[in-house]
Amino acid sequence: MSGEHVRAILLQEFYITKRTLEVIMDLLFTSLMTVVLFGFVSRFLVGALNASSGSYLILGMLLWEIIRVNQYSLSVGSLWNIWARNLSNLFIAPLSLHEYVIAHMLSGLLKTVIIFLLIAAIAAAGFQFNILRLGLLNLTLFFVNLTIFAWSVGLVLLGIIFLFGTRIQALAWGFIFLFQPLTAAYYPVAVLPPALQRLAYALPPTFVFEAARRALGSPDVNWPFAAAAFVENAVYFGLGLVAFILMFARSRNTGQFARNEG
Amino acid sequence: MDETVRPETLQGRRGDVVDRPAGGHAPEALLEVRDLVKDFGRFRAVDGISFAIPRGKIIGLLGPNGAGKTTTIHMLLGITTPTSGRIVYFGKKFDAHRQECLQRINYASSFNTLQGRISVRENLQVFAHLYGLKAPGARIKELAAYFEIGELLDTRYWDLSAGQKTRVNLIKALLNDPELILMDEPTASLDPDIADKTLSLIEQARSGSAVSILYTSHDMEEVNRICDEVIFLDHGRIVAQDTPLGLTKRILTAQLKLTFDGERGVVEAFLAQQGQRHRFAHDYAVVIDTTEKMIPNLIFGISERGVWITDIEVKKPTLEDVFLRIARGDGHVG
Repeated sequence: MSGEHVRAILLQEFYITKRTLEVIMDLLFTSLMTVVLFGFVSRFLVGALNASSGSYLILGMLLWEIIRVNQYSLSVGSLWNIWARNLSNLFIAPLSLHEYVIAHMLSGLLKTVIIFLLIAAIAAAGFQFNILRLGLLNLTLFFVNLTIFAWSVGLVLLGIIFLFGTRIQALAWGFIFLFQPLTAAYYPVAVLPPALQRLAYALPPTFVFEAARRALGSPDVNWPFAAAAFVENAVYFGLGLVAFILMFARSRNTGQFARNEG
Repeated sequence: MDETVRPETLQGRRGDVVDRPAGGHAPEALLEVRDLVKDFGRFRAVDGISFAIPRGKIIGLLGPNGAGKTTTIHMLLGITTPTSGRIVYFGKKFDAHRQECLQRINYASSFNTLQGRISVRENLQVFAHLYGLKAPGARIKELAAYFEIGELLDTRYWDLSAGQKTRVNLIKALLNDPELILMDEPTASLDPDIADKTLSLIEQARSGSAVSILYTSHDMEEVNRICDEVIFLDHGRIVAQDTPLGLTKRILTAQLKLTFDGERGVVEAFLAQQGQRHRFAHDYAVVIDTTEKMIPNLIFGISERGVWITDIEVKKPTLEDVFLRIARGDGHVG
């Protein structure tokens, strides 16, 4: 693997992000507005109901952004090149598929860290919700698990885009929200019907959100939940990677990869 | 273009001398394609083509729409997988040495563009890093000066005119000092002046370094101008391969236009007797589709019948005629 190639794609991501209002709006502006909105709703709920239900909302929102920004960056990053008819130029250069994917993962991670720090600071300063209450180790474990899940979904969506072209591009920014209710981002899993609860626990973020809500009371690490999330993530990431590689190969075989820009 | 700027830029870092082997030796093939096939479902887009591109040569890849040109180029670039066959660059199998081969080739097309939202310099920096250039800034500056777009380096790519974009695409294609460039209709959608300049740049690039080019185009004049050899594709197969002149010589027919002073009926009767296909442009001018060999006989025969020939015009076949024959279904020329 060439670090220079990864650097090239990171450089392009930096240039595109800095010069593209849509990316700034989709990532930074949306995250900022969401934290403000959820901050006020939380404040209202804390006053009207109780402190924990209000905190659940803003906590879920902050953690959900880790999934959203990571996945968006991985899937939509390639769409900018497809729309510009530049993607095949990149693959005509001596860039390997894994260098390309790693660069987009790193780019997503970098954006996520920056945005997460910003919105966490706003939540702390504006709405008295300090994410560090969860404990640094907990927070790191949550961040890693949510990031891996986002990458797994992002890889599958990227593969689908390569395979079917831009006609299904809306999935790149919309599909992830399917997991928001299923993973019980804003409420305890117990709220879900029993059948959906079983499905929820088949998704790694559910363990993260549950553990995070419990950590609001005590910052001890819930190791069984952390382990369950890691194991599921390992399976999802493995499957996502294999699916992506197969879909990429298939898109080159059917000619769709070249036609994506035609 | 400043003709006096003689680029180190295009001279190449591998040496200034074009590697043209002495007579008797087969030229070194940078690219060898053997029995290349591409099926899309039941449709065979490329049907067992084989060819080679020697160092320092420009090879035209021509054919009507749907002939398989673009699919071939996509397979040669690795963005479409062949169904079967072999692609060998620099003596190495492409599928096994993809990155190594791509490091030494490049691509320019009017159909691909660079990232429109970022500047020309930023775009070129990305590719300079991808090709592992040691001093990207200097190389970009040098090529930009040569292509006279130095002042546009900080302009967004999408703000450039079509001609300026083509120049930037050519800079991208030369960044890594490639030994082989695949060009897919690089002058399509350019106005004639810019297209001419682009062709001059390609000619300079070729004469200044050992670069070889595989060139697709629909413009027969430019193919005639820059290509050393032409490969005609039709329905995925190579139907003709020769120099542009060699190809036109394969068409045995020529068009003879005679303007005359005399009886139209006499001329008409003579041509009918000789079995010559003809049409009258007007009462005193006839256009005859014939062979080059028959031309003296026809002129002599008509004159002998008391018709005074006042003007003779012979139209020899062009590369365009070859193209039209293939496009209209007469796939095998000569």
